[in-house]
Amino acid sequence: MTQRLFAPLTLLLVMIFLIGPFFIIVAASFSAGETLAFPPEGFSLKWISKVFIVESFRQSFAVSMFLAIGGTLSALLLGIPASYAMSRYKLPLSETVRFMVSAPIIVPGIIVGLALLRYFVIPIGLSITLALFVAHTALVLPYAVRVVSASLANLRSDMEEAAVLLGSSRLGAFFRVVLPNIRGGILAAFILGFVTSFNQVPVSLFLSGPGVRTLPIDMLGYMEIVFDPSVAALSSLLAFLSIGIVFAAERFLGFSRYV
Amino acid sequence: MSDASYLFLDKLSLAYGKTIAVKDLDLNICKGELLALLGPSGCGKTTTMRAIAGLMTPSSGRIILDGADITRVPANRRNIGLVFQSYALFPHLTVFENVAFGLKLHGLRGEELTRRVEDGLETVGLAAFANRKTPELSGGQQQRVALARSMVMQPKVLMLDEPLSNLDARLRLEMRTELQRVQKESGVTMIFVTHDQVEALALADRIVVMRDGAIEQIGTPEEIYNSPVSSFVADFVGFENVFAISDGRLSTKDGADIALAGTLPKAKGLAWRPRAIELGTGPFTGVVRGVSFAGGTREYVLESRFGSIKAEADAKLPGYPLNSELAFDMPVAAAAPLQRFG
Amino acid sequence: MFQNRAEALALALPAAIFAALVFIVPVLLLLSEGFKVAEQWTLSAFVDFFSQPLNRTVFLRTLKLGAMVTLVAAVIGYATAYAIVSLPAGAKGRMIGLVVLPLMISPVARTYAWIVILGRTGIVNQALMAIGLTDEPIRILFTETAVFIGLLQLFLPLMVISLISALENLPRDAVPAARVLGANWFQVFWKVILPLTREGLVVGGTLVFTGSMTAYITPAILGGSKVLMLETLLYQQVTVANNFVSASVIAFILIIMSVAANILLKRIATARNRT
Ligand SMILES: Nc1ncnc2c1ncn2[C@@H]1O[C@H](COP(=O)(O)OP(=O)(O)O)[C@@H](O)[C@H]1O
Ligand SMILES: [Mg+2]
Repeated sequence: MTQRLFAPLTLLLVMIFLIGPFFIIVAASFSAGETLAFPPEGFSLKWISKVFIVESFRQSFAVSMFLAIGGTLSALLLGIPASYAMSRYKLPLSETVRFMVSAPIIVPGIIVGLALLRYFVIPIGLSITLALFVAHTALVLPYAVRVVSASLANLRSDMEEAAVLLGSSRLGAFFRVVLPNIRGGILAAFILGFVTSFNQVPVSLFLSGPGVRTLPIDMLGYMEIVFDPSVAALSSLLAFLSIGIVFAAERFLGFSRYV
Repeated sequence: MSDASYLFLDKLSLAYGKTIAVKDLDLNICKGELLALLGPSGCGKTTTMRAIAGLMTPSSGRIILDGADITRVPANRRNIGLVFQSYALFPHLTVFENVAFGLKLHGLRGEELTRRVEDGLETVGLAAFANRKTPELSGGQQQRVALARSMVMQPKVLMLDEPLSNLDARLRLEMRTELQRVQKESGVTMIFVTHDQVEALALADRIVVMRDGAIEQIGTPEEIYNSPVSSFVADFVGFENVFAISDGRLSTKDGADIALAGTLPKAKGLAWRPRAIELGTGPFTGVVRGVSFAGGTREYVLESRFGSIKAEADAKLPGYPLNSELAFDMPVAAAAPLQRFG
Repeated sequence: MFQNRAEALALALPAAIFAALVFIVPVLLLLSEGFKVAEQWTLSAFVDFFSQPLNRTVFLRTLKLGAMVTLVAAVIGYATAYAIVSLPAGAKGRMIGLVVLPLMISPVARTYAWIVILGRTGIVNQALMAIGLTDEPIRILFTETAVFIGLLQLFLPLMVISLISALENLPRDAVPAARVLGANWFQVFWKVILPLTREGLVVGGTLVFTGSMTAYITPAILGGSKVLMLETLLYQQVTVANNFVSASVIAFILIIMSVAANILLKRIATARNRT
């Protein structure tokens, strides 16, 4: 009998621990009070709407969007050909290349950010925006390579050979036959990269300047100074955004197959 | 069939890195011929095909097609068709689009394209499936699409890698006649790979038996079936009883030497099909260790001085019970002499 | 497999060069600074770093928190994973979904929630005062406890997922068989489940440990300057003390941890592929 209760009880407690805090910030973001509190004092949408009004949030949201979309796209632009070379060609030093493009996953982001600051931004005068862009591209590159490589591994390579025998060039075979069949994997890589980049903090810590900082960094700064529920409201919105994207991805392309 | 050599492999050697898959292969194929590459798995059949198609570069040797050296011609300019063992259809395209793929690359458009594709689909009996996506088709239908996709290109040589091995028994028979029909109607030079002797014997004009990356024997189905040159070929085409000859006597696997009646031919070995073994009379005795009924015949496994002997007798004759002792004969006249053993 | 080397290189080199230029070279340069004082190669920066009590405290605290989070995550992880694996297929899928879900949410948002819960007027303090355990709010935020809780919540899902896949590969009847043979639950765990799921435990443990060791957001929000960990210390060394040598030393420690963990994981992966 005790055993029968043990499993559901464990699950309940663990789920409360994992997901409960999320519900609390959602509730707190609808508070009518001036400070962060739970249970919320009354009900209002004022903090939710404040999120859209605060100028710095709007700016940093735009920066984060730009980085997440641009960084992921350029990581795919670099990663897809590299994955293709590693999976279909006798590539010299193939293991070294694979190590190089997946190394950013091993190194803590804060170190990448610091290294870029120290050797590119300060001495060369690389703009913060460009440094952020490069850092986020590097950060997403390993995910792009991993997911695209997995898709390619699942795609029989004799399809490309069939295309070549029918008269296509190698490059043509890639665009006509390979690309259409790994679209799902590429989309999955894009979503994974987008979420990773958008939520990433440490890599951007040292890379912020006047008017240029990512949204999570902006939130960190804001919550140190202001103790109102707007960060809770913003957190809830972002969480729903992530969950929505991932749910849609799972629904329409079986996201978890690729990740 | 003309006698002029159409496709000529000249001392062709093929390797994967350091592994040599095919060594010094010489082969002449005539225009319009239906040739079978027969051999056990791993003997280099697929590798040879891939080299002919241009999907792999030979480490040495030449490939001559229709008088031109194509050894260095890229695969997409050879116009050689290959139906892959996996079919390699394009899953994102419809049946029609799959078949149209190569024609479009060669600049065909509009009515001409539609006509050629529809003709191709007609030939393989899939006209009604033009708008299906290929993953929805059965294995046999997929193979027909792959065949049509290659055929519409009017390739100089059409090659098929184990075309029947992924099909169930009934479909296999159907596809076999279909392949033969398509080849005879179009007159295309066709090479197909198989590890199944029955298929090769039934279909081919000529059979090339391969072993460990080299040719073991080339011949018509009759030659291969009746006169294997080596113990390897004999084993492969169903001579169940294969023995070496040393010093004019038959030697068994366990090293016993046995004299046979009459003079042995000048050969390294002798091979008997099961039905060449005479049961009921003869100088040897064996014990029946297995009997199985195979419709028209009964198959026996005898334990004897030769080791295990496979024999066959008409099922209408009374059978020999299990564990009974039995006289039998292995007439030299009924054996195929082997020029190579081992 | 295509043989053309030039084509292969043309496809792979942009990514490789990009990674080398913007990532590998700068990081190596940064690390080298920790070994250089006045243009001389030396270990004195490391000696200096560890001679300062604050640095030692932070280093040991980071190790300690990493180890504790890993240990507790393993214990809770086994119970949770076992409970989930025992569920019928549909419910199991949904539960796994719920466990994975938090990983998709911004860690800033996830950590921020703990301020509401653990703060002076947070739920925990309200509850404690309501039942009379304390008269005035106790301090939980900006203690190691808060950081511990935050890290545990952040990384527990990784442990649970690793253990779920390990438990799913357990021979179907191993546990019932042991029970039939008279083993009690403790013995079943120790003699059957643990040895058979060791790989999953190591994978999950490595992910949780390195995650905790290299966390920034959680100690920054829930620990502040009172409970520094290696990454928050690094941030401070750069922004407050402008001490890049010390920062390089910390970076070196973090990378060694992370690389060692990844080598371990790779070993396990290749060992698994071989069997
Ligand atoms: N991609 C490859 N890499 C290395 N060796 C290969 C490869 N493909 C085939 N081989 C080797 O080459 C030999 C011939 O293979 P294959 O031509 O596929 O044989 P078959 O088609 O007759 O079964 C085999 O020994 C096989 O192991
Ligand atoms: Mg083969």
